[in-house]
Amino acid sequence: MWRFLGTRIAMGALTIWITTILVTLLIHAVPGDPVQIMYAQSQGTTPEQIEEVRRSLGLDRPIPVQYAMYVERLLQGDLGHTIRGGQPVLEVIIQRLPNTLLLACAAMFIAILIGVPIGFLAAYREGTLTDIALMIIAIAGISMPHFWLGLMLLFFFALELGWLPVSGNGWLNLVLPALTLGLSNAAIFARLTRSSMIDVMSQDYVQTAFAKGLPKALVLRRHVLRAGLLPVVTMMGLQFAFMMGGAIVVENIFSWNGVGRMAVEAIFQRDYPIIQGFILTFSVVVVFVAIAIDALYAVLDPRIRRS
Amino acid sequence: MSMSAQQDAPKAPPGFLRRLLRSPSGAIGLGIVLLLLFFAIFAEMLAPYNPNKMGAGGRFLPPGGKHLLGTDEFGRDMFSRILFGSRITLLIGAVAVGISLTIGMAVGMIAAFRRGWIEAILMRSTDVLFSFTETLIALSFVAVLGPSLQNAGIAVGVAGIPFYARTCYAAALVETSKPYFEASISAGARPARLVMVHLLPNVLPTMIVVATLGVSTAILAAAGLSFLGLGAQPPTSEWGYMLAGSRDYINRAPWLMTIPGIAIAITVLGFNLLGDGLRTSLDPVERK
Repeated sequence: MWRFLGTRIAMGALTIWITTILVTLLIHAVPGDPVQIMYAQSQGTTPEQIEEVRRSLGLDRPIPVQYAMYVERLLQGDLGHTIRGGQPVLEVIIQRLPNTLLLACAAMFIAILIGVPIGFLAAYREGTLTDIALMIIAIAGISMPHFWLGLMLLFFFALELGWLPVSGNGWLNLVLPALTLGLSNAAIFARLTRSSMIDVMSQDYVQTAFAKGLPKALVLRRHVLRAGLLPVVTMMGLQFAFMMGGAIVVENIFSWNGVGRMAVEAIFQRDYPIIQGFILTFSVVVVFVAIAIDALYAVLDPRIRRS
Repeated sequence: MSMSAQQDAPKAPPGFLRRLLRSPSGAIGLGIVLLLLFFAIFAEMLAPYNPNKMGAGGRFLPPGGKHLLGTDEFGRDMFSRILFGSRITLLIGAVAVGISLTIGMAVGMIAAFRRGWIEAILMRSTDVLFSFTETLIALSFVAVLGPSLQNAGIAVGVAGIPFYARTCYAAALVETSKPYFEASISAGARPARLVMVHLLPNVLPTMIVVATLGVSTAILAAAGLSFLGLGAQPPTSEWGYMLAGSRDYINRAPWLMTIPGIAIAITVLGFNLLGDGLRTSLDPVERK
């Protein structure tokens, strides 16, 4: 188990390290002069100021030196300053990251709560009308763009019925974005759970358990559900990364004040320090969640726990 | 070239099209995709108006009458915009998948074929990129290149490479470990022949399924970027971009929001169904 986790942690560290390199190179991949582009939108910037910024960002140095400087600042918790407003990037991100994580977790909860039982039911009734109907709903759910689902929910629940607020950052405001993100991912969980359960139900030991006359509920709970949920747990890490990605769009629909909305604004404003900070934060969060879920998987699966 | 090597290599299963059409998802999916292709190719002939012509009718005309799907805030004909939008959507899906597929397959096959340190470097970097997630890669690309429809297509295509590389690598690895493949090597087949005659035809069925399903993912991702304003720019009749514009008139003209959304959903559904149908009709294991 420790070897398994060790490999995952090493892989995660490698990912974050490569991210820091890519993030440093990012600014050089911009066609044209990044500093000029960043300040193209603000009026009255003198050439002296632009030179000053270039120096402060270290863009006048060779790339390896820039990278070393970036890592050194990073280790001190300094992600640079925003172009607009000059706030520390770390501060801006710390302010907004909890909102994104809250949204992603709530959506994950909804997705599992809806998707797993549907998948289980479909597998249990494999080949029947129930199964077919549920799977048609699931494939329709996968095909529906989540930003459209978001707009529709916004239209019905906030504008037509007036039950929920259109935008803002209170608890009630969380409902629609979380539903949007959760529902579109519930379909993925449903399909995955179904195929995993069908696989387990055809295993010899499950057939044996049924054959020796154990109560159905007991077999389903002890043998089918336990083994069948393992692939679902494995998928959760990847799914969380999808949620973080989906949050970027959903936050913009509902004006939810998270890092995704911040990133899109920063792209429009060419605020590269924020974009760099966002990419780094995103990959750190995804890596940590993936490792946490791998650890959970290792604990749940005796084959890995005892190896 | 030894005979046994040729005989053992599995061929595309016979009667494939018939089987595809017999599966409900395959038939419906193929129907939707062909219809969309028809719309995209003949948009000029089918569209009653120029999609970008303002004041083709009054503003905010509801669906029905002279304007089948109504008009938008500039009086542009929605039906014509949707028709031309299908061309953009299919094109961007094809470009993105083309990028992911060619580079991903090259990486996957080289890694499986060469093994050793080449394999280690290629597949480990694929793993790292994979954990970045497609959204982040696409977003970073747009951040660097700047928002445009073309850049969105490139971004989505590049973002898909790790997934295609992984899948192709897994499929190719299965093939290289089969006895006929080793027999071929022993018989002195040259690398080019091994790759072109044995590896490529045998990973293709898997990759065709992945690419078909991938078109829907790519279309969704590109529409998402356009929805955020990071893809198609005005006055393009791209569906995601049209949806973004509909927000401001959500109460006054709800059809501006429903119609492009349904268009995207049907397109994505078509490719998803076709992909599912292809999988069951190409894969001998799933074909029970």
